[in-house]
Amino acid sequence: MYEGIRSPAVHMPKTLNDLISASSRFPNATFWAGGTFIMSRNDYYPTRESKDIISLSGIPELKRINRTDKYLEMGSMVTFEQMLTVGKQVLPGLLQLTLENTATMIIRKQMTFGGAICTPGVRLALSGTLAALQAEVEVKTSLGPKTETQWIAINRLYDKRGVLELKKNDLVTRIRIGFERETFSSFILAGNPMINPNETVMLSFACSYNQSVINRFRMCLTFPTSLFLIPHELDLMMHGTMLPLTSQQIERVVQSIMEEIYTISPHEIPPIQTERAKRFVESSLHELNAQSLSER
Amino acid sequence: MKIECTIDNKHILLNVNSNKPLNLILLEDLEINQIYSRCRDGNCGNCVVLLNDEAVLSCLIPAFRLKGVRILTFEGYQKSRFWHDLERAYSDTGSHPCPHCYASKTLIFESLLQMIIKSELGPSQDEEPDEEVIVQEIGLNTCACLDAHEIIAIFNSAATYRRRRRVRRY
Repeated sequence: MYEGIRSPAVHMPKTLNDLISASSRFPNATFWAGGTFIMSRNDYYPTRESKDIISLSGIPELKRINRTDKYLEMGSMVTFEQMLTVGKQVLPGLLQLTLENTATMIIRKQMTFGGAICTPGVRLALSGTLAALQAEVEVKTSLGPKTETQWIAINRLYDKRGVLELKKNDLVTRIRIGFERETFSSFILAGNPMINPNETVMLSFACSYNQSVINRFRMCLTFPTSLFLIPHELDLMMHGTMLPLTSQQIERVVQSIMEEIYTISPHEIPPIQTERAKRFVESSLHELNAQSLSER
Repeated sequence: MKIECTIDNKHILLNVNSNKPLNLILLEDLEINQIYSRCRDGNCGNCVVLLNDEAVLSCLIPAFRLKGVRILTFEGYQKSRFWHDLERAYSDTGSHPCPHCYASKTLIFESLLQMIIKSELGPSQDEEPDEEVIVQEIGLNTCACLDAHEIIAIFNSAATYRRRRRVRRY
């Protein structure tokens, strides 16, 4: 049945240095985190194009969660379920909502942060949420005998269509989120990015306000295969705005987002996604209004 | 790739492709026929097995992850004493999964029951699952033969038997 199918070589580095040297020795190998995305592809097995595998599961540094003065830091092999155990005091509300709404516990025990961020063709909910939380990722680049390490904002990993822009020898090793907590957060998901990506819409929204005045407004709208939108100008536009928002202000936000969607992908986005996006934005802003009014 | 592991309490040396999914290993190499997976992409939830006592979808576990692990399929689970707790719970409540998803749902129930025991034994990462979690986890198997009330009733009944078993043991 599987004649001629090659068994890929599996490399299992034990330290970060081993990993970096393995990645430069086997530049075409696939990095294997939890494997949930790779193995859920229809053409995963059997296939004649089996690339070698670098398994990341044996590197303890990638499985650590650290709390520093400024940041909550997690290794790229930390699983979703492991992250949910760190406690509500430490975990941002928006991240908790996103993780809880992703798959079931059985799958979450296998899904890793690094894997979810670096899926090649499909953007999952986690990327949008981390972008809304202004998370940063540590990218290690192997340059022959040297290794370059830099922290970059997560939104710089993707273009506006959500295509991963990492180079072949780049490795995401850690993710960090600042301790500044949002006053309001909302995560809305319709559809399943793995089953029907052309109908799925995910909205991650984090907002901070003080005495009803908005001081941070971060929204990220994700269509799994066609859009990764962070409307930066909205942050400027909404900064200093009083809550509750008027219906004209809500309409202006919605319109500004819809215009951006049409500019990025004028024809390709199915109407169900644009309709869902519009309603999600409206709904989250109404929720924000309701929360601010209830606190008076 | 040669892999040593324990499947249904038998020590086994497998010689399989390193990236072959566990469900295909069980079906093709070990001829365990109680895996009814059809979807090939982790969506039907019919290929659940217990890996080191935790439920996993066997279609999402590659062969190279099996080194030294303990796998229990439904066939092996039926030979364990824990199976009787669920068997009795099915009979007490008068509800049971359909033949198609029987094995998978039973093993998901078992992994949830293991969580109770772990949480009662002391500090553990696993908390005792609430009703919402139980229904959500069983929903990993997309077959709709049991409704939420039936799922909760089965779980509660099985949990009672499992707790009694623990009391008797100490």
